[in-house]
Amino acid sequence: MQAKPSILIVDDEFGLAEMLREMLRESGFEVTLAINGRLAFEILLEGKVDLVLTDMMMPVMDGAELAAAIRSDDRHRRTPIVMMTSLPTAFSGANALFDAVLRKPFTPDLLLETLAGCLADRGQSCS
Amino acid sequence: MSTQQPPWQRRPTGIEGLDRILEGGFLVAGVYILQGPPGAGKTILGNQACFNHAAAGGRAVYVTLLAESQSRMFAHLRRMAFFDESAIPDRVYYLGGYSALEAKGLDALVTLIRGAIQKRKATLLVVDGLVSAQESAQTDREFKKFLHEIQTLADFTGCTVLLLTNAQRATGFFPEHTMVDGVLHLTDELSELRPLRHIRVLKLRGSAPVRGLHSLQITDQGIEVRPRIETRLPQYPPNEEYVASGPKLPFGQPDLDEMLRGGLRPASVTMLLGSSGSGKTLLGMQFLSEGVRRGERVLYFGFYERPEAILAKCQRVGIGGLQEGVERGLARLVWHRPVEGVLDELGESLLQVVRTMRPQRLLLDGMEGFERAADFPERMSHVYSAIAQELEALRITTLYTTETRELFAKSIEVPINGLSAATQNIVLLRHVEHRAAMLRVLAILKVRDDDYDARMREIRFTDAGIQLLDTFAGESGVVSGGGASSDSRATDTEA
Repeated sequence: MQAKPSILIVDDEFGLAEMLREMLRESGFEVTLAINGRLAFEILLEGKVDLVLTDMMMPVMDGAELAAAIRSDDRHRRTPIVMMTSLPTAFSGANALFDAVLRKPFTPDLLLETLAGCLADRGQSCS
Repeated sequence: MSTQQPPWQRRPTGIEGLDRILEGGFLVAGVYILQGPPGAGKTILGNQACFNHAAAGGRAVYVTLLAESQSRMFAHLRRMAFFDESAIPDRVYYLGGYSALEAKGLDALVTLIRGAIQKRKATLLVVDGLVSAQESAQTDREFKKFLHEIQTLADFTGCTVLLLTNAQRATGFFPEHTMVDGVLHLTDELSELRPLRHIRVLKLRGSAPVRGLHSLQITDQGIEVRPRIETRLPQYPPNEEYVASGPKLPFGQPDLDEMLRGGLRPASVTMLLGSSGSGKTLLGMQFLSEGVRRGERVLYFGFYERPEAILAKCQRVGIGGLQEGVERGLARLVWHRPVEGVLDELGESLLQVVRTMRPQRLLLDGMEGFERAADFPERMSHVYSAIAQELEALRITTLYTTETRELFAKSIEVPINGLSAATQNIVLLRHVEHRAAMLRVLAILKVRDDDYDARMREIRFTDAGIQLLDTFAGESGVVSGGGASSDSRATDTEA
């Protein structure tokens, strides 16, 4: 039996993060939450994370800093990272660090489609 | 060594009217509470202050403690002119603080805020949803400790802090108000069917704010605050000498000018009082037309008829030259929809145009337009007095029209309280029934400190212009609507 892909959601808006967690769990993912980039990076270093789904503006370490840290880490540089933001133009300068950008608000279908595409590109499957 | 204290350094909000009320802005390192019910405009005001601060070279952090998601907030803010996505994230940064508050309480929130201010080098911090922090505190003491820590942080970093809240306390006493540098209260209420928003400074340390309620509007430009106009205008001493000097300004209607002994005194204020359709506007336009003919700048400022309709009407009754005056830049017609605006907006619009244009003659057509825009009717006499003083100081000779409520009432009532006190002259226009015909009459009721002809005259608006006729010679009771010759009255009495 194939292991469930593991998604790390990073968002300081806890309500949204919890809602995403429930939705992704129902869709067959393992989900972990972090409320800022630093906590997310610590979780990434400690365990298995197949994809990072991150907000951009957060305390302590923001989404761009998290993505840069992941890309600089030899063991995790290939981990897919998806940006979630209401302001894609504001963060377009950081696009190169990300595998995909999801503009808030987004539909569950678009989210699942985006995650599946990113995981498939890295040889993962969400089925 | 100088003993003089350095002046308080201020941080403008960039909202012009608000900065005027605040004597220039919030204090650097000051902590302020902005309170008010949902929909009063707190969040927009907080965001606008952030973007204005960023546009002025500062850095702002906006921390939300609310259930509303940032994406929803951005969706609403996008239509506002101040919202500049390019300022995000470098100069305006948004953080959600609710999760930290929920997970670890107020200490975690302080840590989050401190980290954000330091990392972003913020000079303005907005915390939206202070009520969440208050609810999270187990005791008032814990909440006050949180505020104390925010104050210390502001002192340490020089960051100005705005705390937005809709908190209500049953006792009406807000202990947190004692701990901050200022409290601004925003309101959102209905006046009849009109929604009216106001802002009021409850407390402002180190400042002499303009106290009382000031109107606040939310438009696509964001928050617009208009200090009460009567508080903004300088108080001039009465200058009767000026009004009494200088050549008079004629109407260009020989009979009327004769009745006024040459016209109106410069910088005087004249009321054209009359029933609907009695010819007030046309008489006022005649005054402006004569000004244009003499090469003077003239301004029409009205509420009910659009400029093109008024110009066409003038053309029809032989009041000429105004269209040409507009084209030559001598005449200007400004129209405002009645009711829609607020009083201070209308007053500001009027003063802005008169200060820019500096007209010698002004017609304010339909003073009820001001009255209908008033949030509090009791303000009107102060407003009129202030505006009249300003117009006089600008040496503008002003006519204004105002309606009597009844067409044929025996008594004549000046409908706007306090207005007549600022008025030097009153000209009455009304309909009268006379020998089975409806006629319009003109009568001069008052000319301050000057001689005038007090006769009733029939006034006609013809293709060739305005005519005054002695239709009522030898009759009495015309103004009260029932003209009778002295002969017939004597006959009636005998009968």
